[in-house]
Amino acid sequence: MNRSIPRPSLPALEQKAAWLSLLLLAVSLHVFEAALPSLGPWFKPGLANIVTLLTLVILGPGAAAMLAVWRVIVGSFLIGTLFTPTFIISLAGGVAAAIAMLTAWRFLPGITLIGVSLIGALAHMTVQFVTVESLFIHQQALYYLLPPLLLLSVTTGWINGGLAAYIVMRLKESD
Amino acid sequence: MLLLVSLAGILYAWQWIHTEISAGPPMVEIYHDDVLLARYPFPEPGKSIHFDAEGELGISEIIIDPDGVHFSSSPCTTQYCVLNGRHSKGGEIIACVPNRILIAIKGSRINGNRYDAIVE
Repeated sequence: MNRSIPRPSLPALEQKAAWLSLLLLAVSLHVFEAALPSLGPWFKPGLANIVTLLTLVILGPGAAAMLAVWRVIVGSFLIGTLFTPTFIISLAGGVAAAIAMLTAWRFLPGITLIGVSLIGALAHMTVQFVTVESLFIHQQALYYLLPPLLLLSVTTGWINGGLAAYIVMRLKESD
Repeated sequence: MLLLVSLAGILYAWQWIHTEISAGPPMVEIYHDDVLLARYPFPEPGKSIHFDAEGELGISEIIIDPDGVHFSSSPCTTQYCVLNGRHSKGGEIIACVPNRILIAIKGSRINGNRYDAIVE
């Protein structure tokens, strides 16, 4: 009896390979950011979010959401923070940013990648604070730090969105 | 448009928080989770306060001197709180999330100690 495993189609395989490549890129950026000197408490430039934006455009919302989750899990495993408070805060921020960006992309017609990135950066920072306040340190004084960090998030969200838009433009040119 | 709305909202919130917390003399408040462990004014020049805050993982050592407050040691693995350095302005906070210790500075330092020292 000859039972063969069904082969996935070539486009499906190409899509999986593209997703894995993007995941590796996002994980690399996640680890790179962890190795950077601290730019302030709880503040990172969010370079890995550029890859989430690229995945959103290239592979669609589902793939982008999965990438946001797996990037935090694999990245945290590599830098040794898996299942620590740092991981929980990072995962909550990453998932919130992904949901906010996908919702904006889906329901706000005409929004640019810069706008999507801006919304993601603001959601990421806000949810990080809410997570810390609700799970770890039940002190509203934590929110004193939120406005200046949101201001930095606006800046990095704008820059990262601009970079993602530039990369998408170059990718379309090369097609 | 989105950028402008975001900036306006953030700046308004920042201004509101700043007004709320800058009333009164500068005080350092140290919390473990939602419990206030200690509340100190900034000490006079030449003096410092050493406080051991017991958290989830162990003792976080905190030093308050006229120039600010900082974690001098922490049982956490990341050490972000220690690397965060010294803070002295009203509204600034330093948190050690793994050990659940928070330092918050309230009040304003209109005539901060460091400037008094220059005048003297």
